[in-house]
Amino acid sequence: MGKRAKSSRKGKKAWRANISTEDIEDFFEKSTKDALSGGNLSAAPSDDLFHVDKSHDVPVKRKIEKHREKVLRCDSVLKKNPFVQVVSSSKPKSKISEKKKKTNVVESKSSKQPQKNVDDGSVMMDLWGDDYNNGENENNPRKIWKMTSTIPAVEVDPAGCSYNPTAESHEDMLAEAVAQEMQKVYKTELGPEPVPLTIDGDANIEDEAGLLSVCNRIINGKSAYFLGVDNGSEGEEEADAENESPEAGNKLARTTKRVTRVVLNKRSRQKALRKMETKEKLKEKMSKEIDCLPKILKEIAKEDKEKQNKLIRRKVAKEEVLKIRPPRLGKHKFEAPPVQVLLTEEMTGSLRKLKACCTLARDRFKSLEKRGILVPSKNIRR
Amino acid sequence: MPKHYRPAGKKKEGNAARYMTRSQALKSLQVNLNLFRRLCIVKGIFPREPKKKVKGNHHTYYHVKDISFLQHEPLLEKFREIKTYQKKVQKAKAKKNEELARLLLTRQPTYKLDRLIRERYPTFIDALRDLDDCLTMVHLFAVLPASDRENLEVKRVHNCRRLSHEWQAYISRTHALRKVFVSVKGIYYQAELEGQKITWLTPHAIQQVFTNDVDFGVLLTFLEFYETLLAFTNFKLYHSLNVKYPPILDSRLEALAADLYALSRYIDASSRGMTVEAKVDASSSSQSNDRAESELRLAQLQHQLPSSEPGALMHLVADKEVEEDEETRACKSLFKDLKFFLSREVPRESLLFVLPAFGGTVSWEGEGAPFKEDDESITHHIIDKPSAGHMYLSREYVQPQWIYDCVNARVILPTEKYLVGRIPPPHLSPFVDNEAEGYVPDYAETIKRLQAAARNDVLPLPGVGKEDLEDPQNLLYAGVMSRAEEAEAAKTKKKMAELEKQYHEELKKEVTGSAVDDVAAAPVVEGGDGEESSVPDAAQIAQDTADMPTLMMSRKKRKLYDAMKIGQKKKSESVERIKQRKKNLKADQ
Repeated sequence: MGKRAKSSRKGKKAWRANISTEDIEDFFEKSTKDALSGGNLSAAPSDDLFHVDKSHDVPVKRKIEKHREKVLRCDSVLKKNPFVQVVSSSKPKSKISEKKKKTNVVESKSSKQPQKNVDDGSVMMDLWGDDYNNGENENNPRKIWKMTSTIPAVEVDPAGCSYNPTAESHEDMLAEAVAQEMQKVYKTELGPEPVPLTIDGDANIEDEAGLLSVCNRIINGKSAYFLGVDNGSEGEEEADAENESPEAGNKLARTTKRVTRVVLNKRSRQKALRKMETKEKLKEKMSKEIDCLPKILKEIAKEDKEKQNKLIRRKVAKEEVLKIRPPRLGKHKFEAPPVQVLLTEEMTGSLRKLKACCTLARDRFKSLEKRGILVPSKNIRR
Repeated sequence: MPKHYRPAGKKKEGNAARYMTRSQALKSLQVNLNLFRRLCIVKGIFPREPKKKVKGNHHTYYHVKDISFLQHEPLLEKFREIKTYQKKVQKAKAKKNEELARLLLTRQPTYKLDRLIRERYPTFIDALRDLDDCLTMVHLFAVLPASDRENLEVKRVHNCRRLSHEWQAYISRTHALRKVFVSVKGIYYQAELEGQKITWLTPHAIQQVFTNDVDFGVLLTFLEFYETLLAFTNFKLYHSLNVKYPPILDSRLEALAADLYALSRYIDASSRGMTVEAKVDASSSSQSNDRAESELRLAQLQHQLPSSEPGALMHLVADKEVEEDEETRACKSLFKDLKFFLSREVPRESLLFVLPAFGGTVSWEGEGAPFKEDDESITHHIIDKPSAGHMYLSREYVQPQWIYDCVNARVILPTEKYLVGRIPPPHLSPFVDNEAEGYVPDYAETIKRLQAAARNDVLPLPGVGKEDLEDPQNLLYAGVMSRAEEAEAAKTKKKMAELEKQYHEELKKEVTGSAVDDVAAAPVVEGGDGEESSVPDAAQIAQDTADMPTLMMSRKKRKLYDAMKIGQKKKSESVERIKQRKKNLKADQ
């Protein structure tokens, strides 16, 4: 030990002085101690040093098992009969575990299947079976909005549209078809005339007046009654203007009479009186109303009921309408397809000679429009 | 301040917030119109009619939630992917790199709709409920000509054909068909499956045309969805019969366009085989079915029926399972012992579907048919010509309408009226409820009488008796029908009695003018008081008593009563009109 010298010394003496022999001395000390006490502890096996005391406590796990092994009396009674199987007490637990095992198997299988399906669409599976699980859709399916339309997807034609109908029902159907056609005809007849593309007027329209007259003629021809209404209102206005002008002249000429104090007083008195009267009348009315309060209440109830009825009626009417025609979904209205019915001379009674409908695609398309699935449109292809 | 002023930054409310127009939807989804339409059809999202159309009457409105529902659709992403992929192909083509274009086309991304079907129809019943449109569309496209202009490929037409035949085969196998109606438009069928009534329309056997007022692009999108739906439905149905689903058909029969027959045979063969397989696990020893052609046998070797006892038993069990209710049994045994032969000119497809569905055996003129025309055991020959050339005496020559009428009436009708060369009686619609309509055509009454007669016949026959006696319901029904005439007689009697009673009452009224009360009580509502009774004139009293109930009613009730009266009158008038017309028609003839 000792202090370290600042500068190194040369020679063996100096070296010897610097080296510490502490560890060597420690070792010797320890070994002698061990030798005296009877052996090194760290080298000895742990069994020699410790021992487990098993005399008192039962292991926890075994305790539970023992509890389970205890057979209920009812079970033991059953057990004596070899043909009766014992109902195990821990059934639900085992079931769950079995299910888990099964589902694990299924999952491992099904996880392979979809990959296959991606490759080719020909592989089918039971969509509504138990093993088809798609995960997130199962748990939280969106409530899909069902169609409000009550029109069935496939409307069966009435009896008159049969290929060999009874004469009566056929006539009925025919009448309907005719009515449909006639409605179209009337619509075109009663509607406004289309604006002519060319005008066969006089060849020598040069001056402005002539042109104007032609224009007028066109307009008049097109919407005569509109113009008629316009003319009438104009005439009235003119008359009004004439009436007003003399009055204005009178006003200017009239000299205002001076209002005297007396007149003013009278007016104010009358005003106060009137005010009083109305107040009293109001009071009287109020007291009367208070008297017949139950009546008023009844009236209100009645009104409410009427309103309710009206609402219901309107709702029902709307539903009725929806049964025959779809809601207005776009620019164009839905137009019903023509009724498919045989003409009287086409009725042969033979299925072979039947002149059948060959535009079923249109029928489908119209049905889609009628149910409000598609937006009705005009002239899809020109 | 304007009426509709809304401060900046304030959120919209009401219809303005709840609905958006189609163009807005397109913008928010970032798709083009074509794709949007397809998505909507496939997802089942339809335009709605808001109470208040914020943007005007000429727009189409969608619910905001519907659109956001579309936004989260994985298919949207898929469609975009496809679109970009097609751009790649186009680019390759534009650079004249044909090889690359071809290569790219072979690896095109595809999409599937099965998840959507599951989403829209959570249970099988839901799918069945919505099958009407699907079936009609598939049946229609099965007969449409393939066309380049409409982008309708031959493959799809064939697929539709296959699907429709598979469906028909299942229906006829399970005897689920209930009604058939031949109209000008086509043939309506109605089947009952798991309590659901499914109606569909098939076109007549003539060329269908493409019309200009139909957007076939839209219809094809619908068809795409419906094809998938019907395929999965068929899959489920076939598996319920223990038949493997994509059926393997006899190629020879298929080539002869007798798919339906091939299918029904396939089902017969494999449903037997499969049931056994479940039990015995037999794939080896297969009994050779004599009727089956060798090709068919090769294709279905593993499904064949082994000649063991439990197999037959299982077959029986399976059959028991199929026939559940009374009606199915009735349908199954309608044409039970009859053998039909179809001439060339009758609608083969339809009859091949209908006849087996009601238990008949059918053959037709042509190759691959089960039996030939000269078969002695044929009972009915269906023909639609003015006269038959060579007639066998052992069979009856009837027109096809006979079959449809029999099916609808559920009895074998007498064939005299339907014989060759005659104009058959009118074909009535089974979808019309005559009682509700108030007018019963003549022929319907005849059929009703025949039905009653048929039920009567069943009872006294000693040979058949036992089975029927065991079935008390049937017995009861027959009893009721036998009493139909009796009931009619009783009704007329009752009417007479009523008239008599009325007469007596009138007499009494005349005698005692003041006793109004008990008379007034008879017709309807609240009894009248005696204020008017002081008037001595008898006629006046009668008038008053008739008016009394209406007088005592509140205005609302009276209006309602009037409306009812008007409705009844209208109905009776229309019936009267029809009768009048009929009379006129008869007079003309």
